[in-house]
Amino acid sequence: MKKFDLEVAVGLFIIAGIVCLGYLSIKLGKMEVLGEKGYEVYAIFSNSGGLKVGSTIEIAGVDVGRVKNITLDNYQAKLVFMLREGLKIQEDAIASIKTKGLVGERYIVITPGGSEKVIQPGGRIRETQSPVDIEELISKFVFGKID
Amino acid sequence: MKRTRLYLCFLVLLVLGIAVPGLAGVSEEKIKQTTDRILSIVMDPALKNPSKAEERKKLIRSAVDERFDWTEMTRRALATHWAQRTPEEKKEFVRLFSDLLERTYLGKVEDYSGEKVRYEGETIDGDYSVVKVKIVTKKNKDIPVHYRLRKEGNDWLVYDISIEGVSLINNYRTQFNSIITQSSYENLVKQLRAKITQK
Repeated sequence: MKKFDLEVAVGLFIIAGIVCLGYLSIKLGKMEVLGEKGYEVYAIFSNSGGLKVGSTIEIAGVDVGRVKNITLDNYQAKLVFMLREGLKIQEDAIASIKTKGLVGERYIVITPGGSEKVIQPGGRIRETQSPVDIEELISKFVFGKID
Repeated sequence: MKRTRLYLCFLVLLVLGIAVPGLAGVSEEKIKQTTDRILSIVMDPALKNPSKAEERKKLIRSAVDERFDWTEMTRRALATHWAQRTPEEKKEFVRLFSDLLERTYLGKVEDYSGEKVRYEGETIDGDYSVVKVKIVTKKNKDIPVHYRLRKEGNDWLVYDISIEGVSLINNYRTQFNSIITQSSYENLVKQLRAKITQK
């Protein structure tokens, strides 16, 4: 009888451990289990600069969403953004891909626009700015000044 | 007989159908016209004389004014702060912003020394279009320039330019926003005025 209690306790402990592990991996992996909140918009970039699914989207440095999907569309990068519910993105907002520091990870910055028209769920952020290729710029600088 | 007429009808429709997308080079054509017009002003030996500098500037400005939608550009650059301005303030800011761009870029146009402009097509999506242009310097380096245009009636007007992939509007939008949030709109106007009158 006593031995059985011990086994139950160990079992419960291990189950609790597994649940914790599951929770941690979902949290750390930024996965969503129960339907995602928010809405989707998409944007087309001529170059995604190696951006990854799950990269953050910021407005004024505040995290407002994630990159949900990246596909190739007519040899351009089509990015699907998952944005916070209730967040209004104007039609003339500009989405640009930036780098944290000089060699850090890529993320998206949205600069809000001034239009009265708001992008509807499933709509497109028309204005985009692909990351500046530093290597290309350096080569231009080395082999000849631009202006 | 009737059948032949029907075929003829189809043929006409078919030709029209092909001709319409053929006309789609329309926004690129507009950019080309304006560029050619500005280049002809810049290259005009009669206007090279320093005494004609003012006139030359005016001619270039009027050619640019025709193609650029200053109000739209200003609205996009001021972004969230645009709606809070009164109509008079908006009007004044449009003038200041266009003067600022003129001051910043006209000098570059006047330094023109035979760079080639290569047109690389356009992408039209509804009322919006992107015209891709490459400027080839004398050292044979390409500078990609993308004009973003919006259809206005029958005309196409520029509302943003990206050079080397960097958007002009985004650049000013970030700067204006940080000045306004750090100090005030009045301060931004003051700074712009100082910049424009600065020699």
